[in-house]
Amino acid sequence: MSVWAQIWTIARLELFRVFFSKRSFWVYGLALFPVVIFTGHAIDSKFRQQRWGEGSRITPVMMDSFREGATGEEILEKAGTPQRDRKWTRRQRRDEDDEGPDRRRFMTFFDGKRQAQLNFSDGKLTSVRISPLLNFEEDRKIFAGVFQYFYLRLGIFFGCLGIFINLFRGEMLDCSLHYWFLAPVKREVLLMGKYLAGLIAAASIFTAGAALCFGALLFPHESGEVAAYLNSVGYEHLAWYALAAALGCVGYGSVFLAAGLLLRNPIVPAVVLLLWEASNSFLPDILQKLSVLHYLQSVCPVPAPMNSNAPALLRMLLSPAAPSSVWVAIAGLLGVTALVLFAASQAVRRLEINYGTE
Amino acid sequence: MAVYKRGYQRYAGDRTGYLQRLLVLPRFAWRRLLDQKLVTSLLMLSLFWPLLCILFIYLANHSELWAGFAGGFKRILSVNGKFFAVFMNVQSVFALILSAVVGPGLVAPDLANNALPLYFSRPLSLRDYIAARMLVLAGMLSLVTIIPGLLLMAIQGGMAGWGWLWDNGRLFWGVVIGFAIWIVILSLVAMTCSAYVKWRAVAGGLVLAFFFVVGGAAEMVNAVFRVDWASMFNPGFAIEAVWMEFLGVELPPEKPGAYECALSLGAMCTGLLWILTRKLRPVEVVK
Amino acid sequence: MSATEIVFNDVSKFYGEVLGVNRVDLRIPPGITSLVGPNGSGKTTLMNLMAGLVHANNGTLRVRGISPRNPGELMKILGYATQYDAAPRGSTGFDFVLAGLLLHGYSKPDAEKRAWAALERVSLTQAGNRKVAAYSKGMRQRVRLAQAIAHDPLVLILDEPLNGLDPLVRAETIALFREYAAGGRHVILSSHVLQEVDVFSDQVILIANGMIVAEGQIRNVREEMTEHPSQYLLQCRDAARVASLLFGETHVVEAKIDADGKTLLVMTKNRDAFSASLQQIALSGEEIESVLAADENVDALYEYLIGGRK
Repeated sequence: MSVWAQIWTIARLELFRVFFSKRSFWVYGLALFPVVIFTGHAIDSKFRQQRWGEGSRITPVMMDSFREGATGEEILEKAGTPQRDRKWTRRQRRDEDDEGPDRRRFMTFFDGKRQAQLNFSDGKLTSVRISPLLNFEEDRKIFAGVFQYFYLRLGIFFGCLGIFINLFRGEMLDCSLHYWFLAPVKREVLLMGKYLAGLIAAASIFTAGAALCFGALLFPHESGEVAAYLNSVGYEHLAWYALAAALGCVGYGSVFLAAGLLLRNPIVPAVVLLLWEASNSFLPDILQKLSVLHYLQSVCPVPAPMNSNAPALLRMLLSPAAPSSVWVAIAGLLGVTALVLFAASQAVRRLEINYGTE
Repeated sequence: MAVYKRGYQRYAGDRTGYLQRLLVLPRFAWRRLLDQKLVTSLLMLSLFWPLLCILFIYLANHSELWAGFAGGFKRILSVNGKFFAVFMNVQSVFALILSAVVGPGLVAPDLANNALPLYFSRPLSLRDYIAARMLVLAGMLSLVTIIPGLLLMAIQGGMAGWGWLWDNGRLFWGVVIGFAIWIVILSLVAMTCSAYVKWRAVAGGLVLAFFFVVGGAAEMVNAVFRVDWASMFNPGFAIEAVWMEFLGVELPPEKPGAYECALSLGAMCTGLLWILTRKLRPVEVVK
Repeated sequence: MSATEIVFNDVSKFYGEVLGVNRVDLRIPPGITSLVGPNGSGKTTLMNLMAGLVHANNGTLRVRGISPRNPGELMKILGYATQYDAAPRGSTGFDFVLAGLLLHGYSKPDAEKRAWAALERVSLTQAGNRKVAAYSKGMRQRVRLAQAIAHDPLVLILDEPLNGLDPLVRAETIALFREYAAGGRHVILSSHVLQEVDVFSDQVILIANGMIVAEGQIRNVREEMTEHPSQYLLQCRDAARVASLLFGETHVVEAKIDADGKTLLVMTKNRDAFSASLQQIALSGEEIESVLAADENVDALYEYLIGGRK
């Protein structure tokens, strides 16, 4: 039996357990939650499009002609019946110099693609906010943000933590690792087999999640717009996102596999890695290259927007590292992975079965 | 008369009180935890930030040391709600890490080794068990939250005059109650995660994942739906909002307010407690 | 290095500051070898060392010429039923045995055939498709044995293999060990059921506090123990008369007559001299119905050699 056949046999035996064990179901939740959110957004957008399309419409030129200071009656005379028209009175004025109640009015108009929200105070138009019902470019940026902040930093990170720690440390806790050690295979081969099983499972779950999410992103938008995007850079973007997700599993998987072999408490490497990855952009160039996230961000086709209002706990995680070229990034990530797997292979050779100390 | 009736004599001596009995579990747990190098190292590390804060308080109360600097410096160097908000934010991260390290070891081994029937065959109810385990965490987490907070208060009170404490009673209660809420949330999350997976190694990761992933998911909902309300489901943001209200610091106006956030945290705690009581059953499941 | 023996050469194993086994020198020939010792004496450590599940701190160890640090080669000839009462999550008895065989490189049809054959040998065919987690203690013991023998190893190591087995299966299992050993293979086992070990072992290794106390065939071991008098139980028509004749011999240190007047317990320092004396008494006309060595079983050895160290 060749080494490759042994690796594949081990991976095959392990795959079923990785994919279908109750312990890994939450990983599916991590991968599919963004899909649910984007699908919800798509359905919501479709409904809104349908609802607003049923009401009155104005021309785009008319929408752009709304100016502050106009009265409500002038607007109605020019644009006709609005989609919504609501009036109310505020007892307390923001501006304390004025007296009497503040009469407020709010109207919305729709031109087939955009919605205008008009706010009136004492009969005068005070603000106009025009926003497209669907903004494909903005949605793509949001997807980039979700992919980098949620998938890469959280989903794949914690998903790989769950899957890869389970491969050795989990079996030690279950007192079943010795069955693998009693197989006529070298420990390094066993390590590679188990790593391959974890990798196939994690990469399938997260690349499928990212691809589904990408599909949900495209779903509510006009077919012409989507086709133009796909024919230009869309498929390429999808491929890069899928590659980044798979590479994330390659990198984080190797780190957590090694951590499961070297340390008894996986929380320690999890915390250290989380802090390391978060603080990476503050480190010198040479140290930045020892981060999985650094390479993954370089592979992503669209840079993620930074949300300055994010809470402290998340802000800590949101510091982007300076990107490398894509091929350097891939080679670097594979290099880091090879290094980590080499360390893991040394550890697995020394590993002893002593369940009493777990 | 049956032999056992003649031979058996029930213990009729004095017994310790309820609280003393309840404290048996925390006492042993604390001793075991403080023997762990990882826990003591974390505790040491978490005192670094309070030390910096003490330095800050010293500087703020010795204006002669920065007399030559511009006026803006005075505004920065003031011990107020914002100062304590920053202090609480940083310490809350240490408390989170500590709970992820300490928490899972309290419940998961009892469940994994079917030890609950042993506990519940003593005069100890499920409520007592949860309370005792929470006390362990509360004790440990207080060391990095409430106690350093009170220490800072005392130092500031000592330097600025005790009248400062009287004038800033809101900050005092903000630190104590704010941290107490955070401790309850952390304890419930840590215990529920470990009761849910029954596996110490994964439970710690799940505790971290709960805060980071739920936070990330809430922000994702905000971004995708272009709304702000989902932040109240982000435990990190929600607790910060509650603290800000206690400390009298303004929140971003577009975000959910402290009361909505408190409600969301309350619902979260109720849910966690429900799962915990369902999982902590003194039965041995043989599949 | 011998290609037919298991050789320990000055092997020590420490778990941190705790002693596992200390300076073990052993040569184990093929046949049934029993490791006997109290809990924590180092039996499992010796077995784990042979299987490469733990590594020696000092010394060298070869199993039929193969180092335990080379699992790729060693596990082809070694089967080990450990004491750990766990199987991979969710696996059935059949899956459990099959997985091991697939890792040995058998094709799937071959592996399936061998897995069923192994389950049949331990009388588990009917329960083969049930989950191991639902097995009783005895069934789990047997499925581990099936997994260990499925690939027909030359060295079979069994940690407490008779624990939890009912008498019928126990007899079948012992027959299996005998059959295995008869083919020139190693069967190494540990057990606390000393009478059983006594019955079927070719040799015994007594171990206490991580050190080898005695090794060899039970009878030979007993003969080398000069500090403890040997005990014989005699059945004779006139026990008092035989006792008085025996007391004349210098090697006899004690004799006890049972209340029935026909049973005599004799303690002697010299087994050969006792044998000769007994022959003379019999020739003189005293009727002796039976002679039984009362302390040649492992229990007695255990008591003599290890009892004081417990």
